Parts: sequence; structure tokens; C-alpha cells
Amino acid sequence: MAATLSQQKLLREWKLYFFVVPSLVMVLVFAYVPAASAVYHSFFEWAGGDTKQLIGFDNFRRAFHDQVLLDSFLTVSILIVFNIFKMVPSILLAVLIHRLKSDRWQYIYRVLLVVPMIVPGLVTLFIWKFFFDPNLGVLNGLLDFTGLKSVLVSLDHFFHWNIFYANVPIGWLSQPELILPSLFVWGFPWIGAVGVLIFLAGLQSIGQDVYEAAELDGIGPIGKFIYIELPLILTQLRLMLVLLIVATLGGYGLQLQLLNEYGGPGGRGMVPGLWMYNRAFYAGEFGYACAIGMILFVFILLLTFVNNRYVRIEK
Amino acid sequence: MSIAPTRRTDFSRDWTKHLIILFFILIELFPLYMMFQVSFKDNATFIRQPWLPTNPLTWHWENWSFAFKLILPYIANTVFVAVTGTVASLFLAILGAYFFARHKLPCSGLLWAAFLALMLMPGVVNITPLFMLLKSLKLLNTLWALILIGIAGGQVFSIFVLRNFIEDLPRDLFEAAEMDGASHLQQVFNVVIPMSGPIIGTLAILSFLSMWNDFLMPLIVLRDKELFTLGVGLIYLDGEYVKQWGQIMAAYFVASIPLIVVFLFTMRLFVRGLSAGAIKG
Repeated sequence: MAATLSQQKLLREWKLYFFVVPSLVMVLVFAYVPAASAVYHSFFEWAGGDTKQLIGFDNFRRAFHDQVLLDSFLTVSILIVFNIFKMVPSILLAVLIHRLKSDRWQYIYRVLLVVPMIVPGLVTLFIWKFFFDPNLGVLNGLLDFTGLKSVLVSLDHFFHWNIFYANVPIGWLSQPELILPSLFVWGFPWIGAVGVLIFLAGLQSIGQDVYEAAELDGIGPIGKFIYIELPLILTQLRLMLVLLIVATLGGYGLQLQLLNEYGGPGGRGMVPGLWMYNRAFYAGEFGYACAIGMILFVFILLLTFVNNRYVRIEK
Repeated sequence: MSIAPTRRTDFSRDWTKHLIILFFILIELFPLYMMFQVSFKDNATFIRQPWLPTNPLTWHWENWSFAFKLILPYIANTVFVAVTGTVASLFLAILGAYFFARHKLPCSGLLWAAFLALMLMPGVVNITPLFMLLKSLKLLNTLWALILIGIAGGQVFSIFVLRNFIEDLPRDLFEAAEMDGASHLQQVFNVVIPMSGPIIGTLAILSFLSMWNDFLMPLIVLRDKELFTLGVGLIYLDGEYVKQWGQIMAAYFVASIPLIVVFLFTMRLFVRGLSAGAIKG
């Protein structure tokens, strides 16, 4: 019966297919074709021109022995750990804003949080690059001003890092050892407006009466967080975690602009995405870049499946 | 019951929280402060006094005129790309969502799966073949390449959100429209679009933001300086050898003005759009 019904419908409503055709064409041409092309070309040696040579799995074999790529996976793992840690201030801020009694202030802070987001991300990035500048930068100025520089220098003496010297400006983005620390400091105090807003949305369902009941039971601020707030933002927390890991794993815009196409001095900031970009657009090895893309894709897909399996997100 | 006293007691009871929140927000806003005050200085003034704003009488307004002259063409290009892309993207998405939401036709399940599968595909790994595709379509070094990619990139998410929304609209509305002999296109214009204003606004802001902020795609697509969007323009400026920080900061500020204007008019949509956007992915 269902079949005849849909046949009747089809006769009547076939024009409706034209509604979905434009989006479908766009998606086919600009998402499916490139994806298929990436799979196909990962088996070729291809400089981007008309000539290409089928080389089987050589690109992948090369990738598994490519020290730069292997190191870049280590670097990106470290960055993922950094970024997970950097979620803490957002959670803290969301909880603090939520605990305010006044709705008015909650709204004001919410708007103030969004303000930095209206500056293009690239501008924020370049301002930070300017902060890191050895001679004029704010960071070195601040360290000199507060005397923390001398603390760093004496720590250096003690541990023999050979990075910090008195009277020599710190080259945050020019010293290989400081690349990862700089990527950690970047964006301090690491408030993600989107993150805070999402956590706030999760906290919304806690009423003041719950807090009052907790206070009667003598539960302190930390206890409230563990027993009341944390369970409610767990879904959001897991969602943010997954989004963050996927974004960090595939991202390379930050490293490209803050450092350069080689991941800065000593390649300490090289991540897999950047190496793919580098191979394609600086070395002209499009086939190899596609292979790196495929490897990255497998990792991200794996994470997405783990996410779907263990992290349930209600709509 | 008077409001003022309760507000005061609220504030005094929560003052530690306010202090911590303000501390975070002030640091968060510090880069913007630096951008603003440095934009009125030349390099010599900046080295002498990096932290505090100088006397407004000695402000170097020529930094700003330099910035306007430099950035305005980039802004024009970016506005063209982001506005055209957002409008076209949403229009196609509304039609697509209408198709999925209103009738279950043969193959619609399959087509739906084809859209959903794209959610699993990370965009970044496609950049190499996408570049080659644009090259063979002769779209390299055009703004249309960015618009088309923007449209395609926004489809899945927008259709996903809009489908759920249209399905929740009361059926009677569509039936009444059909009784009056409205075609599907008329139903889209007279029922769907008027009924889904806020959600379309939210999606529009998300789509606009992502096109506005993109710099990786423009960086590989655009070659001519006349076509540069903001992203590439700023990267170009960053590459200058001798840096006039005042000019650069003024340029950054000018680059932020359009979004500030959009933000002032759509604050509520903005705040909601950002939280909704990240929830849905």
C-alpha cells in the first residue's frame, strides 16, 4: 500500500525534486567530487598538472616513514592535551556567571563575552603574534615590568635550559624550545565565548532552590560544582571535547599564521594538517598531500565513531 | 517590593564572583584595548609609551586614513562574498529542507543519507583536491570560487536544522495554503520563510561568520590584490617587512568594524546563534 501511495504521490509531486537538486549539485560537486578525488589521487605521484603516475601504496609507505609527519602527530597530541586543559577557564566562568543571583548581570556578562568574537579571528591571532614580538611585544614587556623575567632567568640557571638570559629579549616564536610553550600561552585566559554560552545553556535547568537546598545541607562551593553543576554540563562537556579534538587534529590555520608553513623554527609547531598543506602548495606534491589527508581523515572518522558510540547527545 | 535594594544585596553577596568574572573578561578584552590605543600612535610614540593611550590631541589620525584606504576594498570584496554566499546558501537550504520535511518521496531517505554522511567528512582534508577542482573549473582567482564553496559548505548543517524546524510547523498551515492553490514555491515564500524568521537569522549569522572569518581558502584561491578578501589582505599586511604598528592596528580595527555594526543590530541573535551553532556542530 505504501508503494502505491508513494507512486501516486510521485505522479503528483515529482516537481518537488527540483527543490533538492540545487543543494544536491553543490554538495556533489564541492564535497563528494573532491573527496573521491582525494582517495583516487592518494595512489598517484602527481604534481598537480596533467601528468600523473600510479604508484600504488607508495605515498602511504612514505608517510609511515616520514619523520616530519610522525613528529607532527606527536605535536598535535600535545596540542590536544593543551586545549583540553584550556577548557577549564570556560567551565569555571560559566559556573560563576550562572551562580550570580542577578539575571541582569548574567546577560551583561554574556554580551561582554561575545564582544571579542566580533573581531575577526585572524585579527586576534595577529594581535597575539604582536604580543609575542621579542622587542616590542607586550609579553616581554609584562615579564620585565613584573620582574618575572628574572625569575625565569634564575630558573634557567638552575635547570640549565639555556633559553632565558638576562638582558636578552625572549624570542617566543623564534626559539624552537619556546614554540610549544607559546602555543600554550596563546589566547590566555582561554575563554571560548561559544564554550561558555553552551555550558550556560546546560546549567540553565538548575534553579535557585537547588542551591538553597544544597546550602542547607552544608555543601560548599566545590561540592556544589561536583554534585549539582558538573552532572548537568557533562553532555556539553563531552560534546565540546569531541569538537575540540577533531578541530585541533585537523586544524593548521593557527600554526600557519603564527609560525610559518614549516611550523616555525625547528618545525616544532608542525601539525599533520600543516604538513599536508605544505606538501601540496609549497612542494607541489599533490598526490602525497592527498595521502596525508586520507590518513588524517581516518583518524578523524575513528574519533567521530567513538564519539557516536560512547557519547550520546540529545538534540 | 523595591528593586534597587535587592539588586544591591545581590551584588554585595556575589562580589567575589563578580571580581573573578571581571578579571577574566578584562584580560579577554585587553587585546582589543591594545589594538585601539596603539592605532593612534606612531612607532616612536609606541616604544616610549606602549601601555597607556596618548593625549587625544596628538593622536595620529593618518594611521586610520591609511587603514581605511587599505582595508575598504578588502571589506567590499568580503561583504560581497559573505552576503551573496549567505543569501544563496540559505535559499538553497530552505528549498532542500522543505523537500525533506514536507513529503516522503521515493529516494528521499537515500538523499538524506547522502547529506548526513557529509557531516562525518572533515573539510580540511579536502583542500588539496578542491584546489585542483577549482583550477579545472577555471574558478581560481575569482570571488565566485569562495561563494560557491561557502554555499556548498553551509548546506548540510542548515538543511539539518531547517528540516527539523519545518517539520514542527503546524500541518494545517500547509494544507490551508494548498487549498488556496498555492504551489510549493509559494508555500515556501508565504508559509515557511515568514514562520522561521529567527532560525533563519541564526543560521544566517553562523554562515556569514564562517565566510567572513575564512582565510585558508581565500589564501590559496586569490592571487590578484584587487580581489583580496579581509583574511588574505590582513595576512599580506602581516608580511610587510618594516612594521608600522599604529597603521597595522588601525587596519585591524577597521577590519573589525563591519562585524561590530552587525553585532550592534543583532545582539540577541548573535548570542543565541553562537550557542546554538556549537551545539549542533
